[in-house]
Amino acid sequence: MGEPSAVIALLIARLRRINSLIGFIAGLVLVACVILILADIILREAGISFGGAEEISGYVMAGVASWGMSYALGELAHVRIDLIRLRLQQRGRALLDLIAIVALAATAVVIAVQSWPVLAKTIERGSSANTVLATPLWIPQSIWLSGWIWFAVFSCVLVILTLALLVKGRFDEADALVGARSEVELES
Amino acid sequence: EELSVVGSWSSLPLDKQFEQPFWTKELPKASNGEITVQMTTHDQMGISGGDVFRILSDGVFDVGMTVGDYAVGDAPELEGLDVPLVATTAAEAEAMVDAARPMVDDIFKERFNSRVLAIAPYPPQVVFCKGDVKSLADLKDKKVRGSGRMTTKFLQALGANGVNVAFSEVPGALERGVIDCAVTGAGSGYSAGWYEVSDHLFAIPLGGWDPVVTAMNMDKWDSLSPDLQKLITTEVKTKFEEPAWAAAAGAYETDIACLTGKGDCPLGKPANMTLVEPSDADLAKAKEILTTVVLPEWGERAGAEWVKRWNDSVGKTVGVTVPLN
Amino acid sequence: MIYAVTASLLGFLALSIPVGIVLFLLGFGVDQFFSPFPLIRGLGQVVWSSSNSSTLIAIPFFVLLGEILVRGGIAERTYEALDKWFSWLPGGLIHANIGTATMFSATSGSSVATAATVATVAMPQAEKLGYDPRLFSGAIAAGGTLGIMIPPSINLIVYGFLTETSIPRLFLAGLVPGLMMAVAFMVMTAILCKIKPTLGGSSRSFSWDERFASLRHLVPIVVLFLVVIGSIYAGWATPTESAAVGVAIAFLIAAFNRGVSKEMIHTCLQGTVRITAMIMLVIIGAYFLNFSLTAAGLGRELKEMLVGLDLSPMGTLMVIIGLYIVLGFFIETLSLMVATIPIVVPIMTGMGFDKVWFGILLIVLIEMALITPPVGLNLYVVQSARKAGRLSEVMVGTLPFVLVMVAMIALLVAVPSVALFLPDYF
Ligand code: NA
Ligand code: NA
Repeated sequence: MGEPSAVIALLIARLRRINSLIGFIAGLVLVACVILILADIILREAGISFGGAEEISGYVMAGVASWGMSYALGELAHVRIDLIRLRLQQRGRALLDLIAIVALAATAVVIAVQSWPVLAKTIERGSSANTVLATPLWIPQSIWLSGWIWFAVFSCVLVILTLALLVKGRFDEADALVGARSEVELES
Repeated sequence: EELSVVGSWSSLPLDKQFEQPFWTKELPKASNGEITVQMTTHDQMGISGGDVFRILSDGVFDVGMTVGDYAVGDAPELEGLDVPLVATTAAEAEAMVDAARPMVDDIFKERFNSRVLAIAPYPPQVVFCKGDVKSLADLKDKKVRGSGRMTTKFLQALGANGVNVAFSEVPGALERGVIDCAVTGAGSGYSAGWYEVSDHLFAIPLGGWDPVVTAMNMDKWDSLSPDLQKLITTEVKTKFEEPAWAAAAGAYETDIACLTGKGDCPLGKPANMTLVEPSDADLAKAKEILTTVVLPEWGERAGAEWVKRWNDSVGKTVGVTVPLN
Repeated sequence: MIYAVTASLLGFLALSIPVGIVLFLLGFGVDQFFSPFPLIRGLGQVVWSSSNSSTLIAIPFFVLLGEILVRGGIAERTYEALDKWFSWLPGGLIHANIGTATMFSATSGSSVATAATVATVAMPQAEKLGYDPRLFSGAIAAGGTLGIMIPPSINLIVYGFLTETSIPRLFLAGLVPGLMMAVAFMVMTAILCKIKPTLGGSSRSFSWDERFASLRHLVPIVVLFLVVIGSIYAGWATPTESAAVGVAIAFLIAAFNRGVSKEMIHTCLQGTVRITAMIMLVIIGAYFLNFSLTAAGLGRELKEMLVGLDLSPMGTLMVIIGLYIVLGFFIETLSLMVATIPIVVPIMTGMGFDKVWFGILLIVLIEMALITPPVGLNLYVVQSARKAGRLSEVMVGTLPFVLVMVAMIALLVAVPSVALFLPDYF
């Protein structure tokens, strides 16, 4: 029994590391966006108009949101209402957690699949933003879409891992993986 | 036959006075109840103007309408529908749109899998300025709030700075000197009280006419009987498009009267802005900038074929030729 | 349709499916059962357009600003200073919670970010000092809602954007009602703790020397407020850009206080991305549900119902207030605003109500929605900062403050100039 669980534990640790890195990079992109906006404000006061910061910050928002989804999921940060869950025994909780992660994974897959045509049309028509920058839209949209695809893939992997852990009766590990303990780290 | 219809901005007169009555009352009545309509607007659905025709092409709804300019990201050739400054009266604008209609039909068929039913105008997008502005040349070095790529490029070519300011922030921005001038429809500017913070009204359509295209999903169109197709085509022309154009000229005069205090103002308290009419020299200068800078750049985005078609149709009507190289 | 949607909403939420996902599922359901059109084909476009927004980017900026204030130690020192000034009142530290929330509201545009900031610094104290967890955490959840009333405010930015109302005017209008509510929260706390002293901790007294010495710890927040709001009124920055300015200033202040380290930056950035994604999943889900409901004709039903009632302006106003209170139980707040404003505000202005005034009234209703179960983001945020205890304790704790909000609504209706005199004066 040691072998497969060790594989699961290793896989979980790897996924955590990847998502943690994603969370950090998305944060850095936000910082870059802050700097861009400040530069834009200063240049504007100096009478030089650049005027692309607003447009770019929209793309940043879309990218940070989509890539942040999987990081938040790994950190159990997506809000769940646990009024009933808290009153249940271990098995009941595990069942609700399984339902929640399956619903999430299914939704994530639908979003990823339905978002593909957005990029496909953009590529097909060579669409660009109706702005002076005329940004080719495939660039921000690819970044955005890949975030949702990774969210779909990651949530499906979580479904499989949860099932594997539950079948083995390892409820605590399953709870740590997809439970509802949305603790923001307190120790500041 | 139930039609799902998505209108343009719910807050603007075009939707309230023409779109809603036509689609929810007149067309169902004219069809003797054969057509029923479910109508909303894109802002109520929470989708951006640029998405209306994209989503229409997927058949999520049957009829969609929005400013043609919002869709140019997907179809740069569509920018030719609304070139700023070439049409100064409603009649000229209507002639320009009529000339562009066959092009627009093809663009919508090809890009959005949809059939154009009508093109109706918003009021022309004129210039509100704080401080003395007597001619186009006076806009040089001024900070101007405009929207749309062609208008911004035109301002750049003129030596003005295009500044991005949300509509609701314009009064504050004019007051604090963040911007010197702002472009919008004369009626919108009146109802938003822009005359309180600006004094010169430069009546030149720097932002174009923002024509609103009404289109139906092509699969839906093809599924309709020839009789229904004919009914919709004639009804939309006589009871929506023509009245909307007819009202445009009058509405523009009323708006100008209200803003300048010269003439009758049924909308409310008249303001007293100084009206600045474009001179022949202004129009000549505008034409020069368009043909040397703005339109050639558009030509590169749209491709030579469209430019040629434009020259032969719209260009002929408004007397502008885009050089082809 | 309304009943089916409400019933499935409650069912899915009870199953503890993530709130954002529930909204998507309901959207799928509306598409499947109530719409003749394939709405799901619009899903991708809705997801793209709702998140590709230069307005919404103010959310991560304000969250990041709050994170920097917490991790840089600024929040903690502010809290300690306010403790010295307010804890002599009956209820003790709870007043410091409200005071800190008020000060952070003046730098943050988001109620969730404000509640998260205050909860992180205050919660450990509650456990240490043996406070009744209900009123203590309820005060943080409620105090946090001031984040969207006292300027800057993301929700007022969204309101101004949707209704074409001047945002600086809205900001001015929110200031007085926001401060009045802060005071009313404190009065409510003092009364409750006077009646039942076990609700609060012991009153704590500090010497005037200690108090004045602590004032310098309030300087950073005051500076931040002046820069963020000042940059808007000076015409340097748009309201959204001012959030970016705030981030930069907060970082400089933290660096000046030697509160910046590699770890600190790392934690701040990851925390920001996590909270942003959590909020965005709910907002995007709400956008899609709104898209489905509107396409299926709910907006029209609602409008026809309102117009069909044929009420006086005051009667219509009462119906609308009631509607928001009920919807506020179930719907996430930003999406509630996005879904209803295009329908409701034209009706209101058509009846002669002031747009700025209605915006402020709406914000009080939205604040209430943030702390009423089952969907109340501030409740979750505060709960997630606690180490133990049940969500229902936070819900009970916010009840007295909901009453204050009801009173505020009544006051705004009776005396509109409470909101309007400041913007009218300037
Ligand atoms: Na605030
Ligand atoms: Na609520």
